Amino acid sequence: MKIIDKDQKAKITLKVNGEVHEVEVEPRRLLVHVLRDLGYTSVHVGCDTSNCGACTVIMNGRSVKSCTVLAVEAEGADILTVEGLSKDGKLHPIQEAFWDNHGLQCGYCTPGMIMEAYWLLKENPNPSEEDIREGISGNLCRCTGYQNIVKAIKDASLRLNQKEYPRQ
Amino acid sequence: MYPPKIGYVIPDSIEEAIEFLEQHEDARPLAGGHSLIPALKLRIIRPSYIVEIRRFQQLNYVKREGNIYKIGALTTHYDMIKSNVPLLSDAAKTIGDPQVRNMGTIGGVVSHLDPAADYPASLIAMDAKVLIRSKKGQRLVDFKDFAKDMFTPDLNPGELVTEIQVPAFDGYKFSYQKLERRAGDYAIVGVAVLLKVNGSRVEDARIGLTAVNNVAVRAKGAEEELIGRELTEEVVEKASTRAMESANPTSDIRGSAEYKKKMVKVLVKRGINQALGGVRK
Repeated sequence: MKIIDKDQKAKITLKVNGEVHEVEVEPRRLLVHVLRDLGYTSVHVGCDTSNCGACTVIMNGRSVKSCTVLAVEAEGADILTVEGLSKDGKLHPIQEAFWDNHGLQCGYCTPGMIMEAYWLLKENPNPSEEDIREGISGNLCRCTGYQNIVKAIKDASLRLNQKEYPRQ
Repeated sequence: MYPPKIGYVIPDSIEEAIEFLEQHEDARPLAGGHSLIPALKLRIIRPSYIVEIRRFQQLNYVKREGNIYKIGALTTHYDMIKSNVPLLSDAAKTIGDPQVRNMGTIGGVVSHLDPAADYPASLIAMDAKVLIRSKKGQRLVDFKDFAKDMFTPDLNPGELVTEIQVPAFDGYKFSYQKLERRAGDYAIVGVAVLLKVNGSRVEDARIGLTAVNNVAVRAKGAEEELIGRELTEEVVEKASTRAMESANPTSDIRGSAEYKKKMVKVLVKRGINQALGGVRK
């Protein structure tokens, strides 16, 4: 049994976008803050109450709101953020689809939307409009630009289902 | 918003977790954390230690043994949706949002006992049992006795919910109806309906209500109106009207007491009709 007292720090290992980090954290420290401090600033703090989804990342294959996960709890976890999506300077098809469909306005919710879309399309490669709307029900866009976000995710699903990802 | 300063315990086994929880009365077990961490941030609770039990994935299972579904306490709502358990899998779909369902667990819901949580309507309608483990061994209690009051489970220090058991209710028709104003919110009213019909005659009816009392309750009056009767529009109307007898809601930001009571009637009616239509939503 490992006991970390409240004034102690725990050493944890996180694998973020394939890169291994060792950090010392207080038990009360939230995953979102640790990720941001490590430089993954795509992970946004929005509402900080598990509502808005701006802090969404993929943890061990599932989308989670990193403001509601303790960093100690994520010990050993494999985490994916938007920074890990593009490969060799080429945007991920979901990113391209957001770009081409104007799926963002102020951009604050975008990293969370993209990571949730990533999870949604992994679960359901051919979502209907209703599936998409339900799928992003945990992500708020306060510009209320949902129309184009939904369009972007639909477009992303088509791109991902093709071998190549042609730009529109 | 940071949680308050807390200690953190990573036990090597469930036994160690139980032992630590018994010795530290103000320690709390961490499953999915989606009620616990918000409560920490809001300073509603200030436990000395958080005891991580989330990693004991041997408690994440749904299996059928004879006529009973056994559900491990750490089964997430996501896993519940995939498991096809009557009522509970449907209720799981309505909880929070996808990210919340990826983390939240049924054992967490049952141990936390939020009065507006979704599962309890089904659990009470299904006569669910809760398996509790401690150093002394295990005990199996009825969910209706386990849920003593809101946020008040029948759990002593050093006791951990490890499994939920529900009968399979083969041949029953069912529906879970949830009224919510905002996507991902708790229920304004939640109604679970289980019906066994022979032709158009009702052989058994079980109706559970959540969010309209301190704890989930059976709508006994409504059940009485249905059992043994032919299902006519009139009978359904009368049963849903009588369901309101079992609701004692309070006015809050989600609606007035009067409104919620009326919605109980509407949702019970909807639940019965949907169950009969066999449309799984």
